[in-house]
Amino acid sequence: MSMFYIHQTVCVSAQKTNGVIDLDDIQPIKDNKLQAIEPNYDSIPPAMYRRMGRAVRLASGAALPLLNTLTFNGIVMGTANGGLEDCIKFLNQIVDYNEGKLTPTNFVQSTTNAIASQLAFFSANKGYNNTHVHRGLAFENAALDVGMMLNEFPDNSYLLGGIDEISAYQYNIESLANMYKKEVILNTELYNSKTTGCIPGDGCSMFAVNKQKTGATAKLKAIGTLHTDKEEDVAQYLKHFMEKNLGDNSLNLFLSGENGDSRYLPYYNACKKIVPNVTIEGFKHLCGEYATASSFALWLACYKIKSNNLKNVLIYNNFRGKQHSFMLVESVF
Amino acid sequence: MSRIFVTGIGIISPLGDTLSLNHTALKKGVCSISTLELIHSNFTGKLPVGEIKIETRTFKEKLKVKESGFTRNSLLALHAFIDAVNDSKLSTEEIASYDTALIGANSVGGMCLTDELYKDANSKSEASEYLSSYDGGSVTLAMQERYGMRGIIDTINTACSSSANSIMYGARLIQNGLAKRAIVGGSDSLAKYTINGFNSLYILSDEICRPFDSERKGLNLAEGAAFLVLESEETVGNKKVYAELTGYCNANDAFHPSSLSENADGPFLAMQGALQKANLQPNQIDFINTHGTATENNDEAESVAMIRLFEKVPAFASTKSNTGHTLGAAGAIEAVYCILNLTEQEVYQSLHYKNPIPKTGLVPVTAYTKMPINHVLSNSFGFGGNCSSLIFSKA
Repeated sequence: MSMFYIHQTVCVSAQKTNGVIDLDDIQPIKDNKLQAIEPNYDSIPPAMYRRMGRAVRLASGAALPLLNTLTFNGIVMGTANGGLEDCIKFLNQIVDYNEGKLTPTNFVQSTTNAIASQLAFFSANKGYNNTHVHRGLAFENAALDVGMMLNEFPDNSYLLGGIDEISAYQYNIESLANMYKKEVILNTELYNSKTTGCIPGDGCSMFAVNKQKTGATAKLKAIGTLHTDKEEDVAQYLKHFMEKNLGDNSLNLFLSGENGDSRYLPYYNACKKIVPNVTIEGFKHLCGEYATASSFALWLACYKIKSNNLKNVLIYNNFRGKQHSFMLVESVF
Repeated sequence: MSRIFVTGIGIISPLGDTLSLNHTALKKGVCSISTLELIHSNFTGKLPVGEIKIETRTFKEKLKVKESGFTRNSLLALHAFIDAVNDSKLSTEEIASYDTALIGANSVGGMCLTDELYKDANSKSEASEYLSSYDGGSVTLAMQERYGMRGIIDTINTACSSSANSIMYGARLIQNGLAKRAIVGGSDSLAKYTINGFNSLYILSDEICRPFDSERKGLNLAEGAAFLVLESEETVGNKKVYAELTGYCNANDAFHPSSLSENADGPFLAMQGALQKANLQPNQIDFINTHGTATENNDEAESVAMIRLFEKVPAFASTKSNTGHTLGAAGAIEAVYCILNLTEQEVYQSLHYKNPIPKTGLVPVTAYTKMPINHVLSNSFGFGGNCSSLIFSKA
C-alpha cells in the first residue's frame, strides 16, 4: 500500500532535536535513563498544564507548534502506555486511601487516548481520532491507520505521533522484568555492551503528513510489521519487503534499532546480512529504548535524508525480540 | 472497495458465555446486573455491576491456559476469540496466515490486577508473574502468541469506544488489501482500578442503571468480550454470513475529557459519517443500539444527536440495561447484538426505563418486538470525546 509524504516534524527527545538541532553534541544519560528534554509549554494555559502528566505534556509540547500553524483532518497517536505515571498515581490513591474519596484527575489523564483527545481539544479538531496501543508496534499501526485514511481521502492531512514516557513506576516494573542494564554505561558505548538490558528512554515525535509531494521533507514509502521470535522469519520478511519496495534502487542508510541488549542482537545481525554494503547506524544511544522509539527513528530518517542528501533509508526495529517493524523512507527528489 | 461480511461470532458477557445464551437472555429481557462478588474491594457486596460469575482459575482450566501472566482480561478475550474462529470454521493455518489480521481493543489491559500492579510498580515485593501483562497490548499478544499469528496485529484503546474502532480498523485493513480477513473485537474485565476511577467521577449508579430515564443515576460497570470474524466478499465463498458491515465513522467531540458537549457534535458526526459511508439516508436506519450508559450526560447528549440527525428518531434501546457497561468490549458486544437484530428480525427491550428525559422526550423500545430490520446503527462513545458509530446491514 502506498503510504504518505511527511511534511513538518517535531521531535522531543533526550537529544537536541527540538528547535536548534545538533545531533553531534550527544547528551549523556542521567540516572541511567535518556529522558526527553521537556519542550516549551508557553502556549499551554497554566491551569491545564498543572493537570497534565508527562506523556500528555510531552505530546502537547511537540504537537502544538504543528496544531497552531497547520490544519488537520484527524489525529492518530501510537503509545504503548500513555500516561502510566498518572495511572500508578491513581492506583496508589486507591490503595493508600483504601478506596475512599479519590480525585479523578490522574484517572482521566491515565487513559491512553487522553493524549490524542487532548490534542483534539487544543485544536477543536472533530475529525478522525484514534489511539493505537499495541506495545512495540503502536506507532507502526498508527502510521498504517493514517496511510489507509489517506488512501480513502487523498486530499486530507493528518497529525501522526508516537509517544511514550519513562516514569519511576515504569522503571520499577521493567527493572523487575530484567529489561534494563544493571550496570551504568555511557550511551555512546551502548553498542559495545555485551550484557543484557537496554537504556530506557522516552520522547515524542510528531509528523504532519498527507499525499502532496510538493514541499515534503520525505516519503514513507512502505511499512511492514511482523510478530515472531525466529530470526529466519525476520530475515525472510525483510528480503521480501526490500524486493517489493526498494526494487533496483540502492539503499543509503540502515537505521538499526539495536539497543545494547545482547538477547536481541541476533535479529539485527540477521537483517544486516540481507542488506549488505550499506552504512549502518544505531539510534537508541540517542533516544533510549521505549515502545514507540521507532517514531524517533522515522524523524531521524527524515532529518538525515534532508541534511545528508540521502535517497533511501531503511529502519528496522524490534521490541523485545517479538515485535518487528520495517519502514522504508525515501527522499522526494 | 470490498464489501465486508461477518462470518464468525464469539461473545461472553454477563448474559452468558455463548451467542445463544446471550440471544435467549436478550429475548427474555434478562438483566444480569448484580452486586460485586469476585473482586476483593470495599465495593464487594454493595456495588451493582455486570459481573461474569466465573472465577478466573475456572476460565484458565476451561481454556487450558498454562502460560504464566494470563490475566482475566486476556482469558475473556481468548474465550470470545476461540468461539469466533470456530464459528467461522477458520483452520489453524488460516488463523496464522499473513492474510489474517487480529485487532483487539480494551481499556484496562492487565490493570485488572490492581493490587499486583501496585506492588510491582512500587517495587514493594518480589516480582509478580504479570510484569509483561499490564499494558493493553498484552491482551492481544496473548492470542497472537497462542496461535502464532503472522498478519497485522494491533490493539486499540479509545476508552469506551475501543472495540468499535477495532472493528473499523479491521474492515479498513481488508478494504485496503492488507488482509483477507480480520478477527476484530475487544474485551475488558472488572477492576478495582476502573471501579474507583468511575466512582471518583461520580458517574456510577448505586442502583441498577436506567438508560434514557429521567431519573437515571449513572452507569453500572461490567465485563465481557466479543470478537467477530470479518471477511472480504472475495474470501467469503459459500460460508454462512451473519451480516454486512456497511458503515462506520470515528469523530471527536473535542469538548471535555470526560463528558459530551451540549450539542453533541461528536456523536452527531460519528452517526452522520457512518450513514455517508454506508450510502444510506437517515430514514433507512431501522434500529439504533445506543451507547446509552445511563449517565446524566451521555443519554441526554446522545438523544440530542439523534434528534439532530433523524427527522423521526428510529426505534432505539440500550443493551447496557441488560449487561452494564463493558467499557472497551462494549462496541464489539453491542455489534453482536445488532447482528442478532438483523438475523432474527427483532429488537430487544430497553430495561428499567420509566419516563422520558424532559429536554428530549425520546422513548426507547420497551417490549420485545418482531419487526423488519435491514440496517442497524450502533453507537460507542468514550472519554476523550472519542465517538464511533457502526452500521450493520442484512446480508
